[in-house]
Amino acid sequence: MKEYSIIGKPTPNVDGPAKVTGEAAYTIDMTLPNMLYGKLLRSPYPHANILSIDTSKAEELPGVKAIITGKDTPGGKWGLWRRFRELSDQQALATDKVRFIGDPVAAVAATTEEIAEKALDLIEVEYEPLPAVFDPIEAIKDDAPMVHEDFPSNINATRHIEWGDVDKGFAEADYVREDRFVLEAAHPCAMEVHNSLASYDKGTGRLTVWTSTGSPYFVQQNLAEALKLREGDIRVIKPHVGGHYGGKNSTMPDAVNAAILSMKTGRPVKIVYNRDEEFTTTEHRTAQNMALKIGLKKDGTIVAFEVKTMTNGGAYTGLGATTLYLTGTFITMPYKIPNYRYDGVRTYTNIVWGTSIRGFGAVPAKYCSETQLDRAAKDLGIDPLEIRRKNAVIPGYEAPGQYKFESCGIQPCIEKMAVRVKEKWPKLEKDEGIGYCAFAYMSGGIFNWIDTPYAYSSAHVKVNWDGTVDLYSQAADVGQGHNTVAAMICAEELGIGIEDIRLHMGDTAHAYTDLGAWGSRETLMNGNAIKDAAAQVKQKLIDIARLKLGENIAYDLVAKNKRIFLELRPERGLSYYDLVKDAIRANDGVPLTGTGHYTPHNKGMISPAYGMGIMAMKAKVDRETGHVTVQDVLVVHDSGQIINPLGARGQVEGSIHMGLGYGLCEEMPMDQGMLLNPEFVDYKILRTRDMPEIEILDVPTYEPNGPFGAKEAAEATIAPAAPCVANAVYQATGAEFYSNVLKPEKVLKAIREAEKKQKASKATGK
Amino acid sequence: MKTIVTDFEYLPAKTVEEALELLAQHKDDDYKIIAGGQSLNTAMKHRLITPEYIIDIKGLSDLDYITFDEKSGLRIGALTTHRSLEKSPIIRDKYPVLAEMEENVASVETRNWGTVVGDLCNADPAVDPGPPLIALDAKVTIAGKGEERVVDAEEFAVDFFETLVQPGEMVTEIQIPALPPHSGVCFTKYSQIHGDYALASAAVLITLDESKKKCVNARIGLGGVGNAPVRAKKAEELLKGKEITEDLLAQAAGVASEETSPISGIEASAEYKKDLAGTLVKRVGKEALARAQKA
Amino acid sequence: MKQQLKIVVNGEPYDLFVEPKTLLVQVIREMLGLKGTHQACDSSSCAACTVILDGMAVKSCSVLALQANGKEVLTIEGLADGTKLHPIQQAFIDNWAFQCGFCTSGQIMAAKALLDENPNPTREEIQEQMDGHICRCTGYNMINEAIRDAAKRLQSEKSAQSGKGAA
Repeated sequence: MKEYSIIGKPTPNVDGPAKVTGEAAYTIDMTLPNMLYGKLLRSPYPHANILSIDTSKAEELPGVKAIITGKDTPGGKWGLWRRFRELSDQQALATDKVRFIGDPVAAVAATTEEIAEKALDLIEVEYEPLPAVFDPIEAIKDDAPMVHEDFPSNINATRHIEWGDVDKGFAEADYVREDRFVLEAAHPCAMEVHNSLASYDKGTGRLTVWTSTGSPYFVQQNLAEALKLREGDIRVIKPHVGGHYGGKNSTMPDAVNAAILSMKTGRPVKIVYNRDEEFTTTEHRTAQNMALKIGLKKDGTIVAFEVKTMTNGGAYTGLGATTLYLTGTFITMPYKIPNYRYDGVRTYTNIVWGTSIRGFGAVPAKYCSETQLDRAAKDLGIDPLEIRRKNAVIPGYEAPGQYKFESCGIQPCIEKMAVRVKEKWPKLEKDEGIGYCAFAYMSGGIFNWIDTPYAYSSAHVKVNWDGTVDLYSQAADVGQGHNTVAAMICAEELGIGIEDIRLHMGDTAHAYTDLGAWGSRETLMNGNAIKDAAAQVKQKLIDIARLKLGENIAYDLVAKNKRIFLELRPERGLSYYDLVKDAIRANDGVPLTGTGHYTPHNKGMISPAYGMGIMAMKAKVDRETGHVTVQDVLVVHDSGQIINPLGARGQVEGSIHMGLGYGLCEEMPMDQGMLLNPEFVDYKILRTRDMPEIEILDVPTYEPNGPFGAKEAAEATIAPAAPCVANAVYQATGAEFYSNVLKPEKVLKAIREAEKKQKASKATGK
Repeated sequence: MKTIVTDFEYLPAKTVEEALELLAQHKDDDYKIIAGGQSLNTAMKHRLITPEYIIDIKGLSDLDYITFDEKSGLRIGALTTHRSLEKSPIIRDKYPVLAEMEENVASVETRNWGTVVGDLCNADPAVDPGPPLIALDAKVTIAGKGEERVVDAEEFAVDFFETLVQPGEMVTEIQIPALPPHSGVCFTKYSQIHGDYALASAAVLITLDESKKKCVNARIGLGGVGNAPVRAKKAEELLKGKEITEDLLAQAAGVASEETSPISGIEASAEYKKDLAGTLVKRVGKEALARAQKA
Repeated sequence: MKQQLKIVVNGEPYDLFVEPKTLLVQVIREMLGLKGTHQACDSSSCAACTVILDGMAVKSCSVLALQANGKEVLTIEGLADGTKLHPIQQAFIDNWAFQCGFCTSGQIMAAKALLDENPNPTREEIQEQMDGHICRCTGYNMINEAIRDAAKRLQSEKSAQSGKGAA
């Protein structure tokens, strides 16, 4: 592998000093002079007509400056599926009817948060409750209540994927099994709740919004639609963001209503959600039902696979329709599946809606497919690691019309895992088991449901007289460490230090478009744009260097260690700083600039590149309480050329934490559309004492589509965590799971079932 | 984020007399006593409780003590924090079970500010100190202006979030008798997540005779499996006077399990919690026995 | 009715008047503008708002401000020595012990309270201290490693100082 100066070296977070001193300002920390505080009044009904809203008493409360209801909003609907206008179904405030418990119906702006809160109590809303539907299977029945009357049915989106000849594949299989699963919802639970600060300039008619988002560009687009303004009249700024995990892609009513209230009052308005609002009204990982049918040869070769899913979409679309597609895609990875068919249905129901939470469809998908694969392996008498190795893809593998793996280290990952597991866990104690799961995940999405007319990512580099660099992009650091990666890529390309780079990120007014942080896209997509921009500047410096050095034109020049020099004669070169001065002089005094961009082409339907690997977990089961202790975790992954090993480790560790939560304890039980655990006291999140230590081994490859060979190193490891636990418990006890969330009672029941089954099979001599 | 929106009048007391005087004055008013307020503040934020008066006893330093002598046993003043109990050398020496219990109460931050008595008075059925105090035969002193009464720990909580403390009264002290020779006590709780509210908890005290064979006394306290912490008297009776074997313990655990009346929740069903209580009794009973044999 | 609150925050004495219902976190964030202390829940369950009150880590969202009357508070802003970061802060940076950083102030303050009391904690002791803290990004292991690293740094700082004293 190539030796880099910066890439691949553990590099502390460029935002570190701000974040450890409390100086990093998040939207929630911001105030503006003369600012008002906004609050939203929300529906207590899952489905109801709004008959009347009386705000007169609330308006009389001293300190209340504005109250708006649906009729006072510009009325624009918005969504992220802009290519399909009918799926732009969100609105600032419900007008005719509410569609879930928590749908906002009125917004208040007052001089203090407390007055705003009190004003909510004084607004009188008369509702006419309507029959509601909470279950996806109920939702598609003919007589189901309609969530959106203007839609032909409660089917929000469908997706069909097919290649090969599935029926023929099953006919040729020696072994076929079918399993049905019910997957629970989970909430991303970003520590910083959704919140926005909007300031409308009465003089110019322009709006500035600071918001806790993963994509300032999405918010800018959506605000334009919601407010019926031009995109260019809206500036969205993403300050530090206190967690995203897929829950901050959609534009939510906080941003839109803060904007409307600011436009009404002429004063800045800030809206901050409470934690229970965060739980009950912001997006979560969708609950769904899945049915899987797999056909294998006796030797464990997969010959056919058929998947059906029906997701409990909720009241609006968000990125749920994309998630539906990706569920059908990621469930096939990283295996060679010659014949495959997928049918997904996303339904509208009267609950808060589900979307693109970290792992983007892969999490429920992999839970089902990888637990099913373990059961198939056991029936066929094949080792669970071997069945994965046998079916794993190889470089160049293509799922027809869908995706292609260029760099692909899954086979060496599995081989390395086989060796390491034997060393690490040579012997298992009673009630201990090892569970495996192989995984692959995209490095940013190719799909364009957002209908951007711009490049998927862009970056602008400006080199100043003294050699310092200003790097501008709308790319979003939401905690994943992209700012550090961006600075590293820029510095490496220019052959300078990170300390030379100053970042200007996440502001729609200062930078060209980037679609934001989702689908592990920033390293590859924004990284390519940054590298492109920096390379343009570097070329200018190389041109000047050539001129000044007067060397044979056959020589290649490189930028490294703050010099530009002949690659084969490193002693012959010039100082970067001197060259910058010369170049600016030669450019009539204009700083050196480069504008880079990246849009994938001819890379299939999903992504230009895939991170992948295999995970193993050792777990112990308490047969009396049903408690599962995850004792140890081992990951072997191929993330191409890792840009920052420190950040990459952080992403893997964090993904496993959230994935284990999905597997063990996080759930969103509802009763008639009402969430039963909308606070951290009842929504169970693993704490430090619940977390095992994690060993991570790399199998580096070079990804031709990524900057310096890089690809995804973020989300891939969330999906395998839950199936690893379930498989470990299965290996230890024989207990089979057809849903996630291995709460102790569920584990006990499954163990009892397994014991019964084992007894019965002994009795029948099978 | 939520704040407390409803105003109240704040009445801090500096001495027990002042506190009792304030309580007497506001006996018929809508008041709440605050010590650490680790549950109360959250309840007020959520407007579950909107008292007109808050009587603050956190400043009663005269009730912040832990003392022990062989004759009168252990005394824990009402303003003792969880953390003080956990770290107290007296507790670690004489009643290590209480320190073990404290290590899993909520978080260090909560234990630093919250008091043991405040926790008991909040009367969540899963309250961690409940079962070990029952097992240790603790008494609770409840004082009103000019009067004082002592109740058994097992009687103290009467229902969900309800105790024997009447308007105008407050708890001033917990007393625990010195342990007889050859006694062992153990406590455990189970929650899927560390430091969480118990799905069930159990404390068992076993006192053996001189020969360390026969059980002369047993006390069993259970938490999270009823509308208040429960004393499993029938199970205790089963153990008394007998040599404790694994079989007998399992039998007692089964009986204890039947003495509970948990309710189903999102985390687990009543049935599961009932079984869990039995499992925990069996486990802590075994450990208590081992400790008694060593004592 | 507002009442007097005398409080020392990061070494600065303040003489304030607050409504009795005011929580300590409101004084810190809103009245004093120290926005480094964050709030992430409404149920006293995440410890993001942890500050040090008279030497003890407490959740500032769960302490009535008036109960802190006459006491000393240390927040994240009071930790660095001018432009020199506290060794715990530096260890958090060097060990990638945060990602989004929102819970970090609370984590660092709890770590500070631990290391003040126990300069050489084991992994288990660190986990016990930090167990109340929700971090949604890191999975905690890198935080624990940072705290162990910080303990080492503090100890070597201390021995360097005592070495100087002897000389």
